Amino acid sequence: MDILANFGQGLLTVLEPQNLLYCFIGVFLGTFIGVLPGIGSMAAIAMILPLTFYLDPTPALVMIAGVFYGAEYGGSTASILLNVPGTPAASITAIEGHQLAKKGRAGVALFSTATASFGGGIIGMIVIAVLSPSLAQLALAFGPADYFAVILLGLIAASAVSNGGALKGIAMVVTGLMLGTIGIDLTTGTLRFTMGIPELRDGVHIVVIAMGLFGVSEVIASIRTNIRGTAAQTVDYNDFYPTRAEWKSLPGPILRGSSIGSFIGALPGTGQTIAAALAYAVEKRVSPQRKDFGTGVVAGVAVPEAANNSATQTAFIPTLTLGVPGSPPMAIVIGALMIYGITPGPRLLVDEPEMFWGLVASFLVGNILLLILNVPLIGIWVRLLRIPYRYMYPTIVVLICMGVYSLNNNVFDVWLTLVIGVIGYLMRLFRFEPAPLLLGFVLGPMMEEHLRRTMLLSRGDPMVFLERPISATLLAITAAIIVFALYSTGRNRRRARAAHRQAQQEGSKQ
Amino acid sequence: MQDGDPHEAERESGGALGWGGEIGGLILLAVSIVFIVGGLQLGLGEPRRLGTGAFPFLTGLLLAVLATAICVVERRGDGLAEVPDWLSALAICAALAVFALTVGRIGLVPGVFLTVIVASLPDRSLSWPGKAALGLGVGLGCWLVFVELVNLPIKPFPGW
Repeated sequence: MDILANFGQGLLTVLEPQNLLYCFIGVFLGTFIGVLPGIGSMAAIAMILPLTFYLDPTPALVMIAGVFYGAEYGGSTASILLNVPGTPAASITAIEGHQLAKKGRAGVALFSTATASFGGGIIGMIVIAVLSPSLAQLALAFGPADYFAVILLGLIAASAVSNGGALKGIAMVVTGLMLGTIGIDLTTGTLRFTMGIPELRDGVHIVVIAMGLFGVSEVIASIRTNIRGTAAQTVDYNDFYPTRAEWKSLPGPILRGSSIGSFIGALPGTGQTIAAALAYAVEKRVSPQRKDFGTGVVAGVAVPEAANNSATQTAFIPTLTLGVPGSPPMAIVIGALMIYGITPGPRLLVDEPEMFWGLVASFLVGNILLLILNVPLIGIWVRLLRIPYRYMYPTIVVLICMGVYSLNNNVFDVWLTLVIGVIGYLMRLFRFEPAPLLLGFVLGPMMEEHLRRTMLLSRGDPMVFLERPISATLLAITAAIIVFALYSTGRNRRRARAAHRQAQQEGSKQ
Repeated sequence: MQDGDPHEAERESGGALGWGGEIGGLILLAVSIVFIVGGLQLGLGEPRRLGTGAFPFLTGLLLAVLATAICVVERRGDGLAEVPDWLSALAICAALAVFALTVGRIGLVPGVFLTVIVASLPDRSLSWPGKAALGLGVGLGCWLVFVELVNLPIKPFPGW
């Protein structure tokens, strides 16, 4: 009953006019940016973050969360209509969604997306409300060694499954950890790696890193793809609602997708893309319509969307109860909370109950707002996709500059964003994922602090990590993930080479 | 460049086969050396009381190992992920530089105007009057939102 009472209190918080307004602005801007092809939720949050610094923590967090799930929601619209996913997770939705659109049933695909996202969002919210308090209770028993181990697990889980391969992913995490050491060392007050630049005394701002790695590089990469003009389909409102048989086929996939999504999302370090991909793969095996998958099936649109949206919500569980991001965008949420002087972790539920439950309740309100924005008002987004990208991207560039400049009213941050943007674009070309770097950057200082504290408490004995049951278990899981990831990267590489050799041999025979 | 056929694109990225991973690995190796040396200079402390340089040193060492492994394993890498679009990259970087150089000196609206013009250079489908109109529109919009609504302390025009 406690949960219901707290949730009711949270609902009252979020229904305050100010919070409601920022929830709406968040989901609206999130959908807006998410709809733009090639610009993902990371860039969306990074662009909005400077605006939230003018707000109180609760409306700021509600707005950031709204941008996050709004962008995930909007990403699917672009992926269905253009087959250019607005966010990586939406690429799974595109598999069936774009097939439906090609059959002239884009409206049905968009409607199923909206329904499944809503279902997934609500189930994800229930999971947060039920699980978070008990997880936070458990986490209160964590010592510094356990925290170090849980951060390590989160970082490795996020990086080992990255697209570029386990080795590159882990290298990016470590690079992020190192970047996090730039600036004043809080324990000793010594300056580290500032190269005599006074602006680096407080370290590199998370918005600068996120804007550079995601904003700048995504804009560069999206220009050539999108500039040739958008070919948005028209949506026929007479054919917007699914048939009776399709209606009946929706609840099962939504429930299955949400269950998988909620579980994957709640694991530290994993993200919506994995959730959506896994849910789609499972549905492809268990669905009664499995034979039709790939040709444009409503259930195939609903499953990844439900999984994606529920994972988006449950990613907040490890973020807020342990302080370990559930997905890369959550790293920015942690960064934002720290700017407000709030440390995410088990104490958050005790110290800031109004904020926590306000946020959980905002998922309900935000998802209802999204449903309104994406069913009756879907025409706005379809029209937005028809605005030529040549007007969009110079505006996005200016917004990136303004966002970064407004952090300290200093052009140094714009120069730094330029440098990081170039690095981000090169990383993209060389298949180095930027998300693990950002995770490492945010968690680095925390990890260093826990390492120092552990070593101090254990009088310099590193064996303490293996002697404490919680940290030993977490480290064992981490080691298993590393071994598995390296093994599967090697196996994929060998298979790719074998296929390449075979193709060459066949080519030479001809 | 913009409308190149996809096969040409494949050949171009295929031409880069083998050096993508190595270059990345070498850059990371260089970065790791900076942090290892920097960490040593800052002081490692002792196990019980880790020094300021301990964490950068340890992570630097780890990165050096990983970077070396990347150089070895990625020697026959997959090539570049996509065909590089250097023109767009140059224009966007130049746009950021123009913003940084002009906003404090000539004011927000002219600065944003120039930023938009430079950013839209790789797009030949937008006419010069179109670029100018977009620049002016975005500039005035920024003035309204960031100066009038958000109250950022930036002068909108020179001598304002």
